[in-house]
Formats: sequence, structure tokens, C-alpha cells
Amino acid sequence: MINRRGFLTGTAVAAVSATTAGAAAAAIAADQTAKEFSERANTAVLKKAEPFFGKHQNGIELELQTFTTFIALDIKPETNKAAMLRWMRLLTDDIARIAKGEATVAEPHEELSLGPARSTVTVGFGPTLFEKLDLQNEVPKTFERIPAFKIDQLKPEFSDGDVLIQVSADDPLVLSHSVRALTRDSMGFAEVRWTQSGFTNAQGVVPGGTRQRNLMGQVDGTDNPALGSDDFDNLVWIKDGPKWAVGGCIMVLRRIAMNLNTWDALGRSDKEQVIGRKLSNGAPLTGENETDIPDFEAEDENGLKVIAGFAHVRRASPTNLNERFFRRPFNYDCGLSKDGNPDVGLLWPAYMANLDQYVSVQRRLAEFDLLNKWTTPIGSSVWAIAGGVAEGAILAQELFSS
Amino acid sequence: MTGAFATFTNNTDRDIRIIGGTAEVAAMVEAHEVAMIDGAMKMRAVEGGILIKAGETLTLEPGGLHIMLMGLNKPVLDGEEVSLTVDFDGTEDLTFTWPVKPSVAGDETYEPKKD
Repeated sequence: MINRRGFLTGTAVAAVSATTAGAAAAAIAADQTAKEFSERANTAVLKKAEPFFGKHQNGIELELQTFTTFIALDIKPETNKAAMLRWMRLLTDDIARIAKGEATVAEPHEELSLGPARSTVTVGFGPTLFEKLDLQNEVPKTFERIPAFKIDQLKPEFSDGDVLIQVSADDPLVLSHSVRALTRDSMGFAEVRWTQSGFTNAQGVVPGGTRQRNLMGQVDGTDNPALGSDDFDNLVWIKDGPKWAVGGCIMVLRRIAMNLNTWDALGRSDKEQVIGRKLSNGAPLTGENETDIPDFEAEDENGLKVIAGFAHVRRASPTNLNERFFRRPFNYDCGLSKDGNPDVGLLWPAYMANLDQYVSVQRRLAEFDLLNKWTTPIGSSVWAIAGGVAEGAILAQELFSS
Repeated sequence: MTGAFATFTNNTDRDIRIIGGTAEVAAMVEAHEVAMIDGAMKMRAVEGGILIKAGETLTLEPGGLHIMLMGLNKPVLDGEEVSLTVDFDGTEDLTFTWPVKPSVAGDETYEPKKD
């Protein structure tokens, strides 16, 4: 593809060489090329786009973006199925434009639509929405409120809701502007229940992927199904269910607070014992590399298990193939308390085709996982994520036209 | 009342004007401008219609030139699609489907014609 800038540069060089020596023209051309190259490099993050239309919604099966905001909304009492469909029509058009980096229709600040910056928007529905709109026949298999776990200290301001809109992008200004547009178009139908924002590394800092370090220093996301793999397809996407949910999934979102002051009181090897993995590279204590399979049977010279019974990796390890799911964790940092304890943790979404994949693992972790001593779930919600949208169609159309 | 906004490009070689319109949802459709009248922003019908010069593009937007739907016979709801025919002077009238979106802009009061 010949871009406009490249074309103009070529013309300028030709014009210059007609009146000056060849060497000067070459110098100008080199200078132009360097400038062009650096300009392209400086805006490379902005120009990347993730397609929206397709079999699945975007925002799930892709490498982590740098920023995310989850918005939970509760519908107004007068919002019925017809109103939901009108809302989804507005959102569908907005999302398609945001993904391309374009301004939404009737946008008052078009100049803030800088570019796509891998913007994605994912929409899901909470159990309460199906109750309020009498849509029980449209509930995907196993989808329901997740049970209370004894470790939970859930706060309403981080939990539940009727409708979820997750917006992610590699640029915070682009993200904020999209959140504004999507919220503006939602206020006729619902009110905001909560928002939660998170971040990962900036683009260009770590190799791509869905594994990054969390604020406790651990490599998070190991053993995720690989993006684009059959494994991912089988674990995450709903294949059998109500039409609107096929190609969608179930998402559990947990807000997990970390107590870094007490965590940092532990020595390095204690921290590794708690997790069962090395802090240096995330390798299991029985291996060398992050992707090595933990050997839960291995014993040390004293006959003790190398990976202790209380270790997170042991407790979280699937006991069968139906206990796996896809995690896409973001960090949150909401400042410091007076005594310097940071309000930090994870915004931890898990994606799966069947809610049991998560619940059985979480039940085991809640029962006994030494990590619970330094981490506390303070927010929890569960969402049925609609399937993908074909061009010209409306998101979750079949759900609200039924 | 509700405003209609769009970008029009005049691909002809002569000037055209938006002189009004018709919509099933409204009793009256007028080409409007926003002007300072007695120290307040008010909107009123544009004398002679909204001019789009040959080959030029004109944007109708909140706080500026726009098409006004008055005497709505039913509420116009966010996310609905409304059919509106724009009447031109200088070219044939055009019917479009317009998505309805909320807007906080364009809250001027209406200054009816005094004649």
C-alpha cells in the first residue's frame, strides 16, 4: 500500500534534484526517510487495530492491552427487551467505529478519536438481567451467580450488575474517550453501578503474550490456553446454547486485593514456597522454565514435597481437563493509605464455556491455599458474554428480539 | 423537538439549499440556525434555507446549522431509526434513515418566526 506521506516525499525529492546537486537531494531524501521512519515508529502503537466483526466479540482472545476499564450498569425500571435492542444497536455501531479508531456518530470531540490503539469493547450480561427481563430460557448452561467462598470479603461497589461493558486499549486517552462515548449512549437505558480500571505493561516493554508479572512480583497467566489454539476454542467458546451466546462465553471477574506490606515481610524463598514457583522466571520449584510442568510428587532430601501441600500452584492445578479456563489479568493501583500500604491488586477475569470449569478450582483454593493470607477477593461478578457480531447485525440481537 | 445532524457534500456544479423536510414522526421540519438573540442563544428558521455551495461540504451540528423536527407525534427513542426526507432547492429531495442518539448539546430555545 502506498501511503500519502510516502508519495509526497517521493515528489519532493524529485523536485529538489531538478535544481540542486544529486548529493544534496540524497541527503534530503535520507533525512525525510529517517523522519518518516521515526514518525511511523512513534505512532505504531496508535495504529494497530483489532477487528470487531466476527465469530467472537473482540477483547478476549488477544494479547493484553495496556489499559482496561470494566463498566457495570443496572438497567432502568422502564428498560424492556425492545429498549435493550435499541441500546445494543447504538453500542454495536459505536464499538465498530471505536475499533477502527473513528469517532462515534454525533461525537462532540472528534479530535479525540486519535486512532484504534487496539481498542476493543466486550459486552456481557449478568444473572440479574435475565431475571429482570424474564429471559430465563435464554440463560447459557451453568450460568448463574457464583457461590460465596469463605475467603470472600465482597464489596457491593465492585460486585454484580446487569450489563457489563469492558473497554481496553493501548492508550489511556483513547480508552477514556471511548468510555465516555459508550457511557453517553447508555444513559437512556441504564445507570452506572461501578467502574474498575486496570493496567498491564506499556507496549514495547515485555514480549507479547498473556503472561505478565503482577504487583506481588509473580509471573501471572502461566498455563493459559494458547491464543488461536484448538485448546482455547474448546475451553472458552460456547458451542451449544442459546443462539445469541454461541461464540460467546462465561466470564468471572474477581477483584483481588493484595496486602503488599505483609507479603513483603516474607523472605524470597518463603514467597516461592507459597506459590510453588520461582520468582525469577515463574518456573515451578521442580523445573527450570516457566512452561515446565510442575512435578507434584518430587521430594527433597528430607522427604518433604518440593511443591508444598499449601502451595498455590498445587491447589490451583486442574485435577482434570475440565478445570481449565483462560485468564487475562490486569493490575489495579488506587493509591496509598496513610501508613503507606498500597491499594493494589488484580482485576482478574477468567473466561470459559462452562462455569463449572472455574467454580471447582476456586472451591479448592478457598478451602486451602496459603496465598489467601495475603490476597482477598473484594469484588466478584459473573457475565454471559454474547457471541460475535456479523457486519450489519446487532450485538445479542437474538436475545432481545426473542 | 429534536435536531437532525449530518454532513452533506454537494457534488453538483450548482449551489443547493436545504429548505426543510418531512418526517412521519414530526408535524413540521425546518432548516435552522442558532443565533444570539437578545443576549441568549436561540434557534430559528434560516431565511431562504441552508446554503451548500457547489462542490462544498457542510456539516450540520449541535449549536450550529441543523434540521429541526417539531411537533413530534410520538417520543423519539434512543437507538431507534427514523426516516426523514430532506427537501432541497436545486436538487431532488432525499430520504435517509437516521439513527437516534442522545445529545446534551444544542439546548437553545426556539425563536419562532415573527410575521
